[in-house]
Amino acid sequence: MTDEAATIAAAMLVVDRLVVTYGTRIAVDGVTFHVQRGEIFGLLGPNGAGKTSTLNAIEGMLKPHDGTVRVDGIDIQRSPTDAKARLGVQLQASSFQSELTIEEIVRLYAGLYGLRITKAGIADRIRDVGLGDELGKRFKSISGGQQQRLSLLIAVINRPALLLLDEPTSGLDPQSRRQLWTRIENLRTGGGSILLTTHSMEEAQAVCDRVAIIDHGNLLTVDTPAGLIAKHRDDPRVVKVARGDVTLEDVFIGLTGSEIRG
Amino acid sequence: MADLASSAPAGGAVRAPIGLIFGSLLRADFTVLLRSGRTLLLNIAVPIAILVLIGLRLGNKSNALTQGGPGFVIGLALTYGLMASSLMGYSITIARDRDAGVFQRLRVTPAPTWAIMTSRLLVQIVVDLIMTAIVAVIASIIFGKAFSPGEYALIFCVSILGGAMFLAIAQAVVGLVRSATLVNAIGRILYVVLLLLGLLGSSGILGSTIEAVSDWSPVGAMINLYAGVLNISSWDWTDTSGLIATIGYIIVGSFIGIRWFRWESR
Ligand SMILES: Nc1ncnc2c1ncn2[C@@H]1O[C@H](COP(=O)(O)OP(=O)(O)OP(=O)(O)O)[C@@H](O)[C@H]1O
Ligand SMILES: [Mg+2]
Repeated sequence: MTDEAATIAAAMLVVDRLVVTYGTRIAVDGVTFHVQRGEIFGLLGPNGAGKTSTLNAIEGMLKPHDGTVRVDGIDIQRSPTDAKARLGVQLQASSFQSELTIEEIVRLYAGLYGLRITKAGIADRIRDVGLGDELGKRFKSISGGQQQRLSLLIAVINRPALLLLDEPTSGLDPQSRRQLWTRIENLRTGGGSILLTTHSMEEAQAVCDRVAIIDHGNLLTVDTPAGLIAKHRDDPRVVKVARGDVTLEDVFIGLTGSEIRG
Repeated sequence: MADLASSAPAGGAVRAPIGLIFGSLLRADFTVLLRSGRTLLLNIAVPIAILVLIGLRLGNKSNALTQGGPGFVIGLALTYGLMASSLMGYSITIARDRDAGVFQRLRVTPAPTWAIMTSRLLVQIVVDLIMTAIVAVIASIIFGKAFSPGEYALIFCVSILGGAMFLAIAQAVVGLVRSATLVNAIGRILYVVLLLLGLLGSSGILGSTIEAVSDWSPVGAMINLYAGVLNISSWDWTDTSGLIATIGYIIVGSFIGIRWFRWESR
């Protein structure tokens, strides 16, 4: 086995030639990448690039047209329950039952992951994300940012081996954003892996060990943020859009084009 | 964040016990149902109102609506409740939750999809049974007739069958129709159409063909079944055909409702 093959075999997440289609529309067109243990991996791409579709296939929410996804060596299509038990998920667009209180939602999801958490334990976790005062409020009556914080709390409730975050910082205030990154760092310190999408290039550059740029369902490039900049700084498309020092954003816009996506 | 830093990722180390998963779902679904005042009103208050209004008239004079006697009125009230909880409660909640992405969130947990759906159905059946108990007790007061334990058991059995039938029909609706607004509208239309067909048809005032159709319609079948079990000695072919029709609707409705159901509305 080559070094690279060994690394991939030991990876927390292996996505191999993944194809996702909606009817005749190809949303993900043969994407291959892996996320190592203890790695924070960023998936970047313009609107409609196929990020959420890729995550949904990893989550087992949709059946890929082709290709495989293995989480901790487990094929998500073949053994969804075992794979899902290892995942923590925050979806880009999802909701909890609007009639349930924050506390009831946390209890429900703890139960779904097989955790028996005491009332005090649940309250602790809720306070931890600054929702202590909202504990008894219904989901529909808390603010959008607070809903996002709850969603992130639930995503890590089972201390996942692989945490999947789809635009986790959208709607968060700077304090919550800071806390999220601390949380993610802590999870990684414990050996967990994180795969996230974001539209903030600064964020990706600051927190991700490696990033991939995806567009029109194709993976354009994968490397460390610094590696990507080094690799593409002389690309004419990147040079054209750069003002001063080449940043990750310049590389992103250079590779994916400047026009706005429908 | 001590909870995260203190130990290594534990995810996947254990398989969540299905009892805990199912219990958590049931608890949440019950809570949601009980908080929805409108549902409770439809499910319980309206059948009681039907019972009281028609039941009291029955004492005075007889007309087309009341010629079936107490069995008919009790059957009508219970059928109304069962149908309302499914076609105006269950289907709308499912369509709305699907639109909002509630199911998507549940489906990325290790909870099996059958558990997510079964829990929803089970809480509806339980509410149907509570409604049945209340209506039966009030009916025995209004009509001055004490039901035997056997009769109670039979009424509950019919309610379970009827609850399952209307849930299967509701499931077929959410299986075939994606839009929550459309599910809402279709539920209401179906509700009125089925009610009129069962009610007017069985009264015979629309002629014998319609009466025969009505006997095989969901509402007609239910009313006949309730009347049948409340007067078991006069059980006849109409009641048997009601039973066959009910089972048929359950099979067809669940097949369509499961085969074409999608967890997301896009
Ligand atoms: N359920 C669906 N049905 C049909 N087409 C879909 C569906 N979901 C996504 N698509 C299409 O697939 C493509 C990829 O969508 P996807 O949601 O994966 O993009 P994304 O990279 O997550 O974008 P964003 O940054 O806006 O979240 C888009 O063209 C989108 O219109
Ligand atoms: Mg997306």
